[in-house]
Amino acid sequence: MMFPALDPLLHSELRLAVVSLLMSVDEADFTYIKEQTGATSGNLSVQLDKLTAAGYITVEKGFKGKMPRTTCRITPTGTEAFRDYVKALKKYISAKK
Amino acid sequence: MEENVNLTAERSLEIITEQIERSRNVVAKDTGQLLYLSGLATMGTAVIVALVNGLSASPMGQFLWLILPFIIWGIKRIHDKKQVQAPVSLVGTLVVRTWWSFGCIVIGFYLFALIWNILVLRLYDNLTTATQAMVTITPVIILLMGMAVAVTGHILKRRWLVLFGILGGLLVAICEYSGVIRAIIVYSVASVKTIIVLNLITPCLSIFLFSLIGLVIPGWMLKKQNP
Repeated sequence: MMFPALDPLLHSELRLAVVSLLMSVDEADFTYIKEQTGATSGNLSVQLDKLTAAGYITVEKGFKGKMPRTTCRITPTGTEAFRDYVKALKKYISAKK
Repeated sequence: MEENVNLTAERSLEIITEQIERSRNVVAKDTGQLLYLSGLATMGTAVIVALVNGLSASPMGQFLWLILPFIIWGIKRIHDKKQVQAPVSLVGTLVVRTWWSFGCIVIGFYLFALIWNILVLRLYDNLTTATQAMVTITPVIILLMGMAVAVTGHILKRRWLVLFGILGGLLVAICEYSGVIRAIIVYSVASVKTIIVLNLITPCLSIFLFSLIGLVIPGWMLKKQNP
């Protein structure tokens, strides 16, 4: 039985956590994602850049009052990639059983 | 969380589930805080309405219920400013819309019932006939509140919250509608004047009771469960 290849961009602990989190919200700011994933600012920035480059998420820099705010949002490409990833995962798990 | 790329399928699924659950917990904590504060505001208003009704020996205090939505709106504004707000999610939106719908229905029904009851009292000469034609407000509001709590429990996947909503709503509404609370008061109090005054207070007592069972306790438990 041929298994579909798992998206290497999503098959990473932190990137998968970020995309899963963004799938359940309209948008989330950097601080919130950092808090929820327990990642360091540097590592999170690097992973967000990778996801942005792939077109999976959009990152918007702005201000909330006087405070700078980085907002992340999942794109339709990201949603599609996540769905495919979950489908592939299910196939792997059901084949194991 | 590290940049681990050697994930097993099970671990991947675990991460996804974990993040969805975390997101739900953030909303649950936020909802808990608001249920708790709204419950306290409702209990406080019930006490004030009961005092005004009792001291004036008239149902004038009922109009004070109209201030409650503004108090809750104010509490939500202060809460949103003070706390780090949970991001907008489907779960959060569903909870907000449930309570928004509840608020609209209750305010609409309350205004209708208030105007209807005033008209009935003015149109009918016979007080017994007028009383029969009047709309009973409190049990309806308590049932609606119980339903909103139960729906919130379903959205947040907290079975105990569903039970609190259904059982609390039904119990208090049935007691109020069947006159159990009133009967206990009438049975224990001899003076007719006191009975009239207490009749004006019992709906407040029911709302106070349900606010405690359906809002304050579940809100506190939600807050405690999601530190």
